[in-house]
Amino acid sequence: MTFDIDTMMLVGPLLTVAFGGLAMMLVDAFAKEKAELSVVSAVILLAGASFSLALWFSGPREVEAGMIGSYLAYDRLAHFLDLVICGGAALASLLAGGYLREHRIERGEFYVLLLFSALGAMALVRAVDLLSMFIALETLSLGVYGLVAFRRHSPRAAEGALKYFLLGSFASAILLFGISMLYGATGHTSLAEIHQVVAAGEAAPTLLILSMLLMITGLAFKISAVPFHAWAPDAYQGAVTPASTYMAVVVKAAVFGVMIRVLFIAFGDESLANADSGWPPALAALAAITMVFGNLAALVQKNVKRMLAYSSISHAGFLLMGLVAAWKLHGGSGLSAVLFYLASYTVSNVLAFGSLILVGSRGKEAVSYEDLAGVGRRHPWVAVPFAIGVLSLMGFPPLAGFFGKYYVILAAAEAGGGMLWLAVIAVLSSAVGAYYYLRVIVFLFMRKPEEGAPVAVPMRSGHVVAALVMAGYYVLRLGITPGAYLDLVSPGLDGATDLDVSVFLWDGGIAVVAGAIAAALTTLRSGASDDADEPAPAPAE
Amino acid sequence: MEIGLGTYLALASVLFGIGAVGFLTRRNILLQLMSIEVMLNSVNLTLVAFNRWTPGEPGAWNHHGQVFAFFVIAVAAAEAAVGLAILISLYRLKSSVESDSADLLKH
Repeated sequence: MTFDIDTMMLVGPLLTVAFGGLAMMLVDAFAKEKAELSVVSAVILLAGASFSLALWFSGPREVEAGMIGSYLAYDRLAHFLDLVICGGAALASLLAGGYLREHRIERGEFYVLLLFSALGAMALVRAVDLLSMFIALETLSLGVYGLVAFRRHSPRAAEGALKYFLLGSFASAILLFGISMLYGATGHTSLAEIHQVVAAGEAAPTLLILSMLLMITGLAFKISAVPFHAWAPDAYQGAVTPASTYMAVVVKAAVFGVMIRVLFIAFGDESLANADSGWPPALAALAAITMVFGNLAALVQKNVKRMLAYSSISHAGFLLMGLVAAWKLHGGSGLSAVLFYLASYTVSNVLAFGSLILVGSRGKEAVSYEDLAGVGRRHPWVAVPFAIGVLSLMGFPPLAGFFGKYYVILAAAEAGGGMLWLAVIAVLSSAVGAYYYLRVIVFLFMRKPEEGAPVAVPMRSGHVVAALVMAGYYVLRLGITPGAYLDLVSPGLDGATDLDVSVFLWDGGIAVVAGAIAAALTTLRSGASDDADEPAPAPAE
Repeated sequence: MEIGLGTYLALASVLFGIGAVGFLTRRNILLQLMSIEVMLNSVNLTLVAFNRWTPGEPGAWNHHGQVFAFFVIAVAAAEAAVGLAILISLYRLKSSVESDSADLLKH
């Protein structure tokens, strides 16, 4: 057992967020201005992301498996997903800074829960042992249950949290039963050792198949794949919107990260994964129904947040398709397509959810499509980011979402065979999806609100504007010039690279500075025009 | 009758089944939480039994299964705490612990 500096560096991003979360609890106790906590937590998360970026480029690759190495990986897959998770969580916490103040439910727990849950997500994407995987998954989930239930006086929040909690812990129990079967079949909990035992043909086949079935079911619950999606729309709708954003982006990225490891390492043997039996055909079927059902169900929604929930379900189908393609292509372009998709999906979703937050103010929230009518004319600076966000989710070129979908579908077509029909289904279902995404834009710009109907009034918040500017920058950056980011996720994740870290530092710097300037301008403007509109101190609870 | 791995696995499967059926059929949230606990405990039993009867020579044994069971117990406690907190918050608003009373969110 050695605690040398190299080993500590490997878990540096985790330690940053963990100690940040602990410090946050102290700061929360003494801070008077709770909205600034959101900035603090965003800074902590961005520090974790920078640490991961540094490790991606110069982290030690050869460390003897000791205390940490046998439980947590330190490869570029983990470091890249750290960037997605920390970035998504930082933007969600900025959104919360504006949203919670506007709705007078400002309490510091939100950021603490968010930080610890992000810690679980970061541990999850580097879990290479069933034990670390289970604990990380629970750390992630328990935090999110708390975030969903955050608005204590809302029956909808309690109900969404209850549904998410009950189904989530049921799924955890199923996953755990699968884990115990896998342990029984192989006698090991380390994914690599499990792979060796399976490859040597020494594992009990019945237990192995059963455990695979149970574990995939448990994980499919967490990514809300159809038919295990029932909790998702309710939880997204009931939760405060920043928490929905967090669930949509971070939970999905983290669980897909661990799925890559479990499926490709533990269940990666030919006997469990081939074109006719094993998990790839099962996952392909799951991908097909998830894409089709998610898009069809989103069509009939009247509530914008529920629509975005079903949209995130259908995106899970695309990602599952990418996973199967990645297996067929032995990692390679399939895996990089999945990772790029996760990054583009994260920034697009933050933009869409964030604009939904910005459109509404206290008592005048945007809930249904009708609430959005005419916003584009009265407040174009709110409607434009909203339009960019939904267009990117739809896959409109040249935005981030377009290249995400393009590369995943390309990988599926490249994989050939049965994957071709899956690619066709993907194209058709995203054409169906265009209807409900465009409907948002139609309501924003082309409808007039009905007489006397409740209409959303945009809020003024520097925090939300900053998050939108940052997410918007990346949506355009990944869409117009995705080159450098494709290299970041390119095949040979652990080979030598001629990438230059300065590109990504510049991007991050530009995004943060632009966000800060936009936030400052918004604050100045609202300060000049309506001083009286300052929110009154929140009622003591 | 000899008590071996099969006996423990049979018991664990029955417990898991009872928990799953209880979770799906009961409408009282407290009972649903208890059903989940039963399921988790059946997992613990499986883990420990598998550890006891791990194939291979004695020198190659590990204790991962037994250690895992302790972690499951700890996590189950944390999960129960969060679950009861959510239950209390629902009870305050609805004065009911039936999961059917949570029926606001529909499409």
